[in-house]
Formats: sequence, structure tokens, C-alpha cells
Amino acid sequence: MLKPILLVEDNPRDLELTLLALERSQLANEVIVLRDGAEALDYLLRRNTYANRDDGNPAVLLLDLKLPKVDGLEVLKEVRATAELRSIPTVMLTSSREEPDLLRAYELGVNAYVVKPVEFKEFVAAISDLGVFWAVLNEPPPGSLRLNRRASN
Amino acid sequence: MTTADNALAAAVERCAEEPIQIPGGIRPHGFLLVLDEHDLRILQASENVEQWLGLPARELVGCTFADVVSESFDLRARLERLPNDEAFPFHIGDLRLRQGAPCTDTLRLLTHRHDQVLFAEFEPFRQPADLADQGDYYPLVRGFVSSLHNADSLEELLQQCVVQVKRITGFGRVKAYRFDAEGNGEVLAEQADAGYPSYLGLRFPAADIPRQARDLYRVNRIRVIEDANYQASPLVPAINPRTGKPLDMSFAALRSVSPVHLQYMRNMGTLASMSLSIVVDGQLWGLISCHHAQPRVVEFRTRTACELLSSVLSLQIETRLSHARTRQLLDLRQHIVRMISSMADHDSVSEGLRDLPEVLLAFAGASGAAVISAERCDLIGQTPPAAQVTGLVHWLEQRGEEAVFHSDNLRRDIDELPELAAHAGGVLAVAISQIHSHYLLWFRPEQVRTVDWAGRPDKQIGAQGALNPRNSFDRWQEQISGYCQPWDSLVIEAVLELRTAVLGIVLRKAEELAQLANELRRSNKELEAFSYSVSHDLRAPLRHIAGYTELLGEIEGQGLSERGKRFLQHIDEAAHFAGSLVDNLLNFSQMGRSALRLSDVDLNTLVDSIRQELAPDYEGRDIVWDIAPLPKVIADPAFINMALHNLIANAIKYTRGREPAHIAIRARQHRGETEVYIRDNGVGFDMAYANKLFGVFQRLHRMEDFEGTGIGLASVRRIIERHDGRVWAEGQVDQGASFHFTLPRQPATN
Repeated sequence: MLKPILLVEDNPRDLELTLLALERSQLANEVIVLRDGAEALDYLLRRNTYANRDDGNPAVLLLDLKLPKVDGLEVLKEVRATAELRSIPTVMLTSSREEPDLLRAYELGVNAYVVKPVEFKEFVAAISDLGVFWAVLNEPPPGSLRLNRRASN
Repeated sequence: MTTADNALAAAVERCAEEPIQIPGGIRPHGFLLVLDEHDLRILQASENVEQWLGLPARELVGCTFADVVSESFDLRARLERLPNDEAFPFHIGDLRLRQGAPCTDTLRLLTHRHDQVLFAEFEPFRQPADLADQGDYYPLVRGFVSSLHNADSLEELLQQCVVQVKRITGFGRVKAYRFDAEGNGEVLAEQADAGYPSYLGLRFPAADIPRQARDLYRVNRIRVIEDANYQASPLVPAINPRTGKPLDMSFAALRSVSPVHLQYMRNMGTLASMSLSIVVDGQLWGLISCHHAQPRVVEFRTRTACELLSSVLSLQIETRLSHARTRQLLDLRQHIVRMISSMADHDSVSEGLRDLPEVLLAFAGASGAAVISAERCDLIGQTPPAAQVTGLVHWLEQRGEEAVFHSDNLRRDIDELPELAAHAGGVLAVAISQIHSHYLLWFRPEQVRTVDWAGRPDKQIGAQGALNPRNSFDRWQEQISGYCQPWDSLVIEAVLELRTAVLGIVLRKAEELAQLANELRRSNKELEAFSYSVSHDLRAPLRHIAGYTELLGEIEGQGLSERGKRFLQHIDEAAHFAGSLVDNLLNFSQMGRSALRLSDVDLNTLVDSIRQELAPDYEGRDIVWDIAPLPKVIADPAFINMALHNLIANAIKYTRGREPAHIAIRARQHRGETEVYIRDNGVGFDMAYANKLFGVFQRLHRMEDFEGTGIGLASVRRIIERHDGRVWAEGQVDQGASFHFTLPRQPATN
């Protein structure tokens, strides 16, 4: 079974569009949606409502920079500080490349970032590239299931 | 100086060096015993003592005081009453000499301590025949003191004093004079009997009273010479055994005077004189000078009364002068307050002063003033022409040193600017800030004065280079030119005070500016945060509009009418346009904030790469590029690239429809800066709107004709101005346009 993609996004419109983009990129991975940073940490660290979730880390973490409660940077920091989570590929989603926080994200060891483009087609392309790269093509970190390469596409 | 001047100066100096406090002898109308106060033994005696005591002076040395006076006189007991803190001769009692002495009259004994010994001066009772015994002087002094309060002027005060002194001494002529800054004495009051020449209003040159005499007059306030033809009686022995030096007779009533002075008196036709010092604030302010054609005695009690009068007069003058100073100070302060408040009202030092020309002039008692700042030179009242004032300011700058400069004779004091003297006699200048060349100047006109000297003020030099006292005391007029009225020390102090106050204002302004800069920094930060959140928050809904529009078209597009499809397309375009507006605005605001990273930039390389970048935009069009070799400039490569990109993209855009389009990029070198310009043969613009071109969101064309967000040229201006350069545009409707910018060749290092 493919490891899931963890999408952390608070804005419902962005969420819908991102899900559509992921759908169109035809990734087979399950997408787990979380709506704020606290929830994301609960999931990753198996706390509270996620105490009994299935084993294993997500294939990739798509993290919006601005999140309620615990923002994207804090989640990233926690992920990089936790031994079991450290190797999860993490991609920051941002509204503009002017974000001063992007620098900080790099300092904290983000793997990539995506500026959500105005053009939906571009967004689909960007998300699908990322998804394919991190969820499919990349050598999964230890602990992840090996996946079968697709024959076509 | 001429040789004659030099010789005279040397002679005056030699005269000033005559040690008049150690004449080695006394005037012989009395006699002197110098005592050791411890055992009252005689250390020295005047040679004439023999006439009085019948014993030669040398035999007296070693005897005690008691050996020479009558038994009943107990000096030891009386010395208890001798004041310790002053050295003036004190009338300690009257006595007779020892039995068998040739003099059997009662004598006055005056004692004082000085030079480590006790002076005992003996003086006979004598009263001039023409003067009735005044008896008690107290009513006279009391009357004098109360009359002083009624005197309106200094001259009147002196006149009253002169009259009183003449009355109690009986001298033929009594005059009072005041010394000016150079030491010349001007006669302000005089009372004289018939036959005495009048000196009222005349000046006696400073050289008449040598320096050491002035010093002595300051401490010892009365001198009497009964007969200019006296023969001094020397001291025996000549040396004070306590000090090993000649006896210092500074305070002795019988002190013999300089033979030069005696000659001066004889030349003046007066054989007796008395002078009283007027000492104000510790300085010799003036003298009351009494003369008599014949020898004349001044009795001790008369002398005492005169001394008292001169002391009261001195105090009165001191009070009046200090009162006048206070009033002047108050006036100066009031002027300062008015000027400062005007500066505060105008929020400018220069403007505040310009607005109060009369106060500025009255403050320093000047006829002209100049307010100099880095930008301007304002002249008020009578001043030299602006060019000369500027020259004077340069001279002051070169001079540096103190903040205040003053001269009451420009011709004498500023050799380098001889033309100034044609317009002003003197100047008072204060530097508010030397660094910023901020000066205040006041001018006074030259005042030609006529001085009436009591005789030509040059002394004759005798065969041995010693000074001969003058023979002539006839009125002699001298014209003094080149001088203005001297600058009062109070005015000079007030000018410094004004400067301090002005500096306070300037400093406060600097603080306000710093505070403003702080607020600006804070509001810039807020703006930054604002533009960031605007870009962030605006982008999301735009993204959603565009996204959903696209999806809607995709999913439901088939069912829509052509009109509906067109609407959907417009929504999509509008969202994209808004998105690029937000991005451009953000770029623009970032330009103002980021630090410049200056380096050498090859403009030709930059232009080539921009043309390549823009190639898709002009694909298929006929453009004739005319690109001259461009210089290297010092600039931030990323920013300058953005500016050129905007200008070249504009040239491509606005020549659309021209076949062929001409775009020229050239550069010119000017002094200190490089100009670059891009010229095209496009649609051009109306010069009436030239100043709007570089504003944010300013557009001169309809959207259908030429697309754009209206921020490109605003960015160009911002970039160039960040580089301390200038931008401008020239154009004509349908005749093309040229856009110019300059970059400094040596950028400021910040």
C-alpha cells in the first residue's frame, strides 16, 4: 500500500483546489487532510484523536505556511526535531514568494516550497510535479513501503 | 613704528620701570623711624631726623622708640589699636619728642606695618594760612554723601566731589578724570581759581602716569606733594635689615616721589599737588587731582577727610556702573528672548532673525547686520556689499578658533580685506556653526573722533634716553579715524549667550528630526507588514476566483452561451491582472526597502540579455535597434536590470504598429554623472503629462491600446533615485519618446 500524502491546509477553497490538483495529477496515494498545525502534530506524533492511527509516516507532508493554532514553521520545526519524523519530505505551500518566513523555512530544513499560482493549470502542474517527485520517484525513507513503479504515465 | 616711536616706547618703558615704591628717601616736612615691632628698636631713620631730635640718624639705629620720645607716650599700648589687616598710615596718637630735642612742638604720629617692619612717621601740625580750621569734618562728609544721591550724571557726581575737595583743601584747581581703555585720562569735572588754566574736556595721555604708578595708586589711595622743590631726605641705613633690600615705602605718607614727576609738576606750573584714587571693581577708574601754584600743606585730618570722600565716591560710581550694567544686561536679555521666540515661531533661525531686523540691530547697537547660512546671506541695514560679507565669512572660517570675533577697526585688524573699511568701521561676528557656515554678523560705521589732548601726547627723550616730562599742556586736537564705537564686553557676552540659545534650538530641531526619522522607520515597517499581508491576503481570493473560473469553464463550459463563456473569460483575465498588480506593487515596495548592492555593471551586456528575454514580445515585428557602446556604471545590477527592462519593454510596447520601429539606446557623460537614454519612434506622449509619467498607477493610454499596470515607470524612478540619480522623459504625441536617467559616477558610500 502507498504511504499517504499528508496535506495541512486551513483555507477551504485552497484545500478544495489543492485536492483537485492532487486528483488531476493522478497520484494513487491516499491524501490525509488536516486543518491546522496542532492537528498535524497530533497526527504525526500519534496523540489525542490520532493515538491509535495506523503505523508509518506519510510519503510527503504538504504544509501551508500560515496555519491557525500552530503555524507551518512550528510544525516543521517539531518534525525536524523528532527522530522518527525527521526524514519526512516536507513541502511548504505559500501564497507569495515574498514571504520573509520562507527563509526561516529553509533554515529549518524544508525540502521544497510551492508558491500557489493564480493560474489553476500551473497549480495542478506544480502539485503534480511535487507529488510525483516526493511520493513516487523518490527513494522512500526507511520505514516506508516500497512501491511498485507504474508502467506507464 | 618709526625709530622715533621706538625710542619713545623704550623711554616710556624705562619710566615705567623706575622703582617708585623704593625711593630711598622721604619728603622732609616730617621724619621717619623704621622700627622692629618686637622690641621697638630703631632699624632705619630718615637723615633729617637730626633737625627734630638733635641726634644724627646713624646714632639712632639700635636705640628704642622710648629713648627718643617723651616718657608719657606708651607706643606698645597704643599699637593694640593698629589695624592688622591694612597697611595705611594710622594716626596712633600725638606726642612730644624727648627732653632736649630741638623740636618741642606736639607732633602727629602715623604708624603702619609693611615690609616686615613698623613705620613711624612724625608730622607737625600745620594749617595753611588761607584756610580756617574746619574742626569736625563729619557734617561736611555727611552733606557730601547725601548730595551724591541727587546727582543725575557721573559728571555731576564728580563735579560735586571736586567742589568739596577744593573747599576743604584750598587747592587752586581740583579736577576729576576717568581713564579710558588705553589709560588716557579724560577730565570730566573741574573747579579752578582764576589764573589756573582749565583742562576740562581735555585728555591726558596714558604715558603721563606710568604703569607702576597706576599699580601703586590702586592700593594707596592718596598722595600729597607739598612742594615740588623739596630735597628728599635719605634713609639711614639705606637697606631694610629685615629684608636685606631697600625699604618698600608703598604706603608711607612721607614717601618721596620720582624726580620726573617733580619736573612734570614744575612744567605744569604747580608746586603742590594731591591726588586721590577712584578705584572701581578693584581697578583704577580715575583720579581726583589737585594742584596749587605755590607750595601747600595738607593737614592729616584733611587728608583723611579727602580719602573718605574719594572712597564714598568710588563706591557710588561702582553702584551706578553696576546698576547700568544690570540695566544693559536686562535689555540684552530681552532682545535675546524676542529673537529666540521669533526663531521658534518661524521654526528657523535665519527666518526668525530676518523677521526682526530692528531687534537684531538694537541688540548689538549696530547699524547693519548679516545672517549667513549655507544657502543664503541676508543683509540688514548698513552693511558692506554681499560679496564682501561673503569674503569676510570666508576669512572668519579660515581663522577658526573662537566662536566670536570682534574688531573696532577693520582696516587695522583685517589686512586681507582692505575694501571692507570703506563700508564699515568694525564688526562683531559669531559662528553659530562653523561646519555649516552659519554666522551672525553686526557692523558699526566708522566714527571719526576729535580728541582734545592736554598738550601733544608725546614725551621728549633726554640725552640718556630717559623720559623728559612734557613742557606743554596746551590744547592739541587729534583726529582719530578708522574706528567704530568699541564693542562692549557685555554685548560680546550676550552674543555668546544668543549663540548658546540658538544652538539649543538647532539641537532641539535635530532631535525632532531624529524622532521623525524614528517614526518614519516605524511606519515603514508597518507599511512593509501591510504590503506583505495585502499581497498575501489578496492573492488567495484572486487565486480562488481564477481557479474556480477555470474549473467552471472546464466542467460547465459546454452548457454556457457564447456570452457566458466570454464573461467567464473576463473574470479569469481580471483575476490574473489583479494578481500581477499585487505582485508588481509588492516588488515596488520592496525596492524602497532593500539595501543596494553596488558593483560595476556592463550596460551593454545587460541590454543584450534584456532584449533576448523580451524577444517573444516582439516576435515578427520589424524593430531597428540602434545600441551605442554603453559605459560601465556603478549600480545594483538587479535593480538596474529591472529599470532597463521596464524602459526597453515600454519602448517595444509603445512602438507597436510602427514599421519599422526604431529604438535607440545611448549614453552621455556629464560632470560627475552618466546619462543613459532610450529613444523610440512610438506613440509618444503629451509633455503636459510628463510629470505624471513616473507616478504609481499613472497611465496615459487606454487599456485596450496598451496593457500595463502603471507601475513600471514608478519603479524606474524609484530605482534611479535610490542610486541618487535623476529620471526624466521627453516626448511628443505620435512623435516618439525618450526616457533618460543618470547615475552618479562616484556613488555616495551608503
